[in-house]
Amino acid sequence: MTLRNEKILVVEDDTQIRNFICYALKQDGFQVETAGTAQNALSTLVSEPIDLMLLDLGLPDFDGMEVITKVRSWSELPIIVVSARDQDKEKALALDNGADDYLTKPFSATELMARIRVALRHLYKAGSHTEQKEAHVGDLSIDFEKRLVHLNGSEIHVTPLEYNLLALFFKNIGKVLTTQYILREIYGIGYGTDTQALRALMAGLRRKIEKSPAKPRYILTEIGVGYRLTDE
Amino acid sequence: MSEKIESRKAQVLTCTLITCCFILIATVTGWLFRSLRFPETNIVVVYILSVILTARFTKGYVYGIIATIAATAAFNYVFTDPYFTLSVNDPTYFITFAIMTLTSIITSALTSKVKQNALEAKEKEAETTALYQLTNHLAATSDIDEIVNVAVNTISKIFNCHAACLCFDESGIPETGYIQQKNEHELVRRHIKNGSELRHNIDNLRTSYYAGEEFCDWPIHGQDSVLGTVRIPVEINEQLSEEQKLLLHTMIESTAMAMDRFHSVQERLRSLEEATQERYRGNLLRAISHDLRTPLSGIMGTSEMLMGMTEKNDERYSLAEGIFKDADWLHALVENILNLTRLQEGKLILDKQEEAVEEVIGSAIAIMAKRRPDYDISVNIPDDVLLVPMDARLIIQVLVNLLDNAVKHTPVGGDITVSVWVEQGKNMAVFSVADRGCGIAEKDIPRIFQVFYTTHGKDTDTQRGIGLGLAICESVINAHGGTITARNRLDGAGAEFSFSLPMEVKQDDAQK
Repeated sequence: MTLRNEKILVVEDDTQIRNFICYALKQDGFQVETAGTAQNALSTLVSEPIDLMLLDLGLPDFDGMEVITKVRSWSELPIIVVSARDQDKEKALALDNGADDYLTKPFSATELMARIRVALRHLYKAGSHTEQKEAHVGDLSIDFEKRLVHLNGSEIHVTPLEYNLLALFFKNIGKVLTTQYILREIYGIGYGTDTQALRALMAGLRRKIEKSPAKPRYILTEIGVGYRLTDE
Repeated sequence: MSEKIESRKAQVLTCTLITCCFILIATVTGWLFRSLRFPETNIVVVYILSVILTARFTKGYVYGIIATIAATAAFNYVFTDPYFTLSVNDPTYFITFAIMTLTSIITSALTSKVKQNALEAKEKEAETTALYQLTNHLAATSDIDEIVNVAVNTISKIFNCHAACLCFDESGIPETGYIQQKNEHELVRRHIKNGSELRHNIDNLRTSYYAGEEFCDWPIHGQDSVLGTVRIPVEINEQLSEEQKLLLHTMIESTAMAMDRFHSVQERLRSLEEATQERYRGNLLRAISHDLRTPLSGIMGTSEMLMGMTEKNDERYSLAEGIFKDADWLHALVENILNLTRLQEGKLILDKQEEAVEEVIGSAIAIMAKRRPDYDISVNIPDDVLLVPMDARLIIQVLVNLLDNAVKHTPVGGDITVSVWVEQGKNMAVFSVADRGCGIAEKDIPRIFQVFYTTHGKDTDTQRGIGLGLAICESVINAHGGTITARNRLDGAGAEFSFSLPMEVKQDDAQK
């Protein structure tokens, strides 16, 4: 058991789930604060130094979405949203409103830890302010300076748009990117709703980097939400 | 019919009698004037007066003209020399006759016209009053029965008959009975025999009414459909003048407006009611899904933690694993029940978007890989990107259900393949999930998509499931406008489930 400094706030109204999450977090050495309502969550956030928040969207007092908006008005604190399966639209909205990631109930402790690791890594990366020169996931690597992509050590040819897309994912390894966010980053404002173009672009890219596009190793589809570049 | 001729005869007789009387009275008065040595002009004036009076008290121009001729003839016969013959000695009398005739005709015609106008004005007034009464009474009604009562009573009163009204229900089917006026204070409900036939005749109507045996049916046209018919007895209907028909038409239109108003109020109330129920149902479903899923997530998470805390050969590990698996199964069941409830009520609104087939299949396989990592599922899809309009979340559910089924029936290491191809002619994308399991018994194939139907012959404990999975698949595929089929593989053992999805969004789908 390694003791970590990070303090995580768990906002969840169900005691059983809260206990299980807290236990899992403590096992991994995190410090844990809990809140059962949005009000408590907000007051804990202002009084305690919190490094990351796990937020259930269905809270008894008010909507989790409001908590995100409120917190984002003063803090860049990583927020991971927890929601039920049939709330795709809410997930995407939560991400667009500033949440960093989401988990769908039921989730395993392994999944939870993976998401927390990703979120914290991004937090530290954002704090360091040093430009990355290259990055890699598995056998896929990217060279930001030369704008080159390598798979299994050999260079693969990608179009400028595909490169931009891949670079965007490599800067956000493990993090889910919403379709809206990707469109804005790749095509700029104004292409807001042309998701078909993105699907075609993604399909083209997958054919270059994946062995089987339907069983992707690198870029996973989060249906109804967006895409994620795996980090393991 | 004979009554009509009788009354007509009586009328002719009365009018002729009136004409004769006036001419006779004029002649007697003229005789009196003559014996009193009054000038002849007075006699002429008296005759003209008699003609005017005749025109006033008889119907139509005919008697006025007859009276004119009779008056001239009588004057000639009685008062001109030679007396009591129709011949005239003094030719100046011809001028008198001519002027007398002309004056008589003109004045009688004028009188008749004035009378006619007065009559028309009276009728118009009666019509206006009737219409005013009808609309006034209709405005105070609050349901269809009252509207019918008011309409039947008013129409009966105006046209002096026992009118009736037959209502059609919302789907345009005539009701089994219609309301008829029995007397001034009483309405009866009579049974109708050939309602659907009448409906058919009304639908194919080219004239303003349909003439039946007992009644002539005037359709009540609402905004979108025929709301019913006003039934006028055939013999009364035949006597209706054009003006009366117009009046009847106007009255029927007022009734139609009242009925439409009532229907739109009903419609509004109903949609309000539906919205309330919908909200209630939505809340209930949300509550159920939240209240069941949340504790299940807790159970799953906690049991997984317990598994992590024990060694695999520890007995407690398998106990915790049992809890986890049961909770997982319950969770899948909750998802399926929620989906099925939405689908079967027909309330599910498909969120159709063009989705890349590989992404959808990839998501389904990712879910399966998490559930059963011991199985490797092969994929066989076209090289080019294939975009198919669908509700991705539901299609993933279908694929997961089919894959779950395949995994259940295939031993570990067995071959499970998901394939997709395009049927060019039909413009359909076909998805297929094939396994190498025991296949499907022939007798199960026709009923395999039924709710709560599970295959027989296996140990029920290992084949847990309440037969919802495939029923959901069928509902989802049908909602997409595709078909789903199950069959045994021809190239060896195993079953194959395949479903098709239309490649293009149909026009009517797009409008929804």
